[in-house]
Amino acid sequence: MSIQLVDASLFASTDPVALQGSACESCGAQVFPAASSCPMCAGVDVSTVALPTEGTVWSWTTQNFAPKAPFRTDEFHPFSIGYVDLGSVIVEGWLLHKTEWVIGEPVRLALAKAWTNDDGTVVHTYGFEAVS
Amino acid sequence: MSGANIDNEVYIVGGGMTEFGRFDGEDQELAEQAMREALADCGITWNDVDFAVGGTNGETKPDNMVARMGLTGLPFITVKNGCATGGVALMTARNGLIAEGRDVAVVVGYDNHARGAFAASPARYGIGGWYGETGMMVTTSYFALKIKRYLHEQGIDERTLGYVSEKAFDYGSAHPLAWRRKPVSVEEALESDMINAPLTRFMFCSPDAGAVALVLARGKRAFELCENPIRLAAVELRGRRPGSFEVFSPWLSPGERTSPSIDAAKAAFDAAGITPDQVQVAQLQDTDSGAEIIHLGETGLCANGEQGAGYLNGDYKINGRLPVNTDGGCLANGEPVGASGLRQVHEVMRQLQGRALGQQVPNNPRIGFTHVYGAPGISACTVLVKEGANS
Ligand SMILES: [Zn+2]
Repeated sequence: MSIQLVDASLFASTDPVALQGSACESCGAQVFPAASSCPMCAGVDVSTVALPTEGTVWSWTTQNFAPKAPFRTDEFHPFSIGYVDLGSVIVEGWLLHKTEWVIGEPVRLALAKAWTNDDGTVVHTYGFEAVS
Repeated sequence: MSGANIDNEVYIVGGGMTEFGRFDGEDQELAEQAMREALADCGITWNDVDFAVGGTNGETKPDNMVARMGLTGLPFITVKNGCATGGVALMTARNGLIAEGRDVAVVVGYDNHARGAFAASPARYGIGGWYGETGMMVTTSYFALKIKRYLHEQGIDERTLGYVSEKAFDYGSAHPLAWRRKPVSVEEALESDMINAPLTRFMFCSPDAGAVALVLARGKRAFELCENPIRLAAVELRGRRPGSFEVFSPWLSPGERTSPSIDAAKAAFDAAGITPDQVQVAQLQDTDSGAEIIHLGETGLCANGEQGAGYLNGDYKINGRLPVNTDGGCLANGEPVGASGLRQVHEVMRQLQGRALGQQVPNNPRIGFTHVYGAPGISACTVLVKEGANS
């Protein structure tokens, strides 16, 4: 049975987990999520690409209050958000399992539980966890 | 005058501003109050106005202000550019006066936001629903992520954020139109509730209500209407280029960092023939304490990395090297989006004319600067010169 995702188009695969971006044929820029054109050079010749799964924390913060709708959660706990430098692109996402981070800290991509639907299915998003 | 033809120069000759804060009434009541004050400030009536520009981020139509002010048949243009609305309105009026050879324009900006009005929907920004559902469509976390990185890159102490707030509420407490008029100490600011690390409760501005209007006049007409006209030496608007770090960005480019604020400030200084070190009073977009630190660097008013020492020195206070946000900025005034950029210009106009409503910059400042910045990555900057200063 396939895993429920917040948005399947964000993922190139889930096992192993990888995010799907797009790469520009003209200038090489990579963006996330995949787009149909390149905002860097205004080119339109782009193709999807699986993004690197390891990187370093580029910036981070804590979300200490529950965001308004459309935010969904089963029970709110403060969590971390960060930008992770994957080399070819810097991606924003959850930083998992702790709320104190250091810029430059190595992290890797992981699936994370986002919320539970009324029918009991667990919906997943992506995040980054410390490489220990 | 730098030898320019006075017929192509536009001046600010009058201003009006309501108190900022919570308001239980129609936003256009506020706009009308500001417009009537601005007209009275330079001794004219609505019948003397050739052209008007209005901006709001709300639902009402600025061009319908003619129903309140009078059906004189004048052209009234509406602009809507988020936090940069005031700057865009001013630019539109300046361009209209010059291009169409008109003499007198009124610019008005207003909003009446309810508490917590800045919630954003992903679809409006062309982002998938997942971004909001996972709690990342939050303006305050963007501010935190941006200043966290900037302080790290520039080696600035995070405690500097507390000094920004302390300064804002010091100015605000002296300003009769400011919303927040209670001083806050550096320690109080640093130790209040953490909202998005490293930013605490006292480091954010909130949506509120307010209106500001300015009267602009072209050429000789300005000197008939005002003893101390303030020359709009430049007003420049820029959008983002690759490498800028904007709100609601699921990804960033790893290349060189750019910013529409850097581009707009440089363009404004170049157009005015003024350098940042000549500025004597400035207004910078301070939707959070971190933004003011970043914008000091991006506009060239302070070398990147030296802001920490500047705040410790009191450089940006009333007797410092460069007083910044002398009315308390967005932190003390809140942000009625449509009015905010014109509040900045109104404050600098009054400082240059020596009639500040709050703390007055000493020693007759003659060159001022304003900067607005906002989603989706636009910035507008002005250079304001007290006439006779640049000759
Ligand atoms: Zn490209």
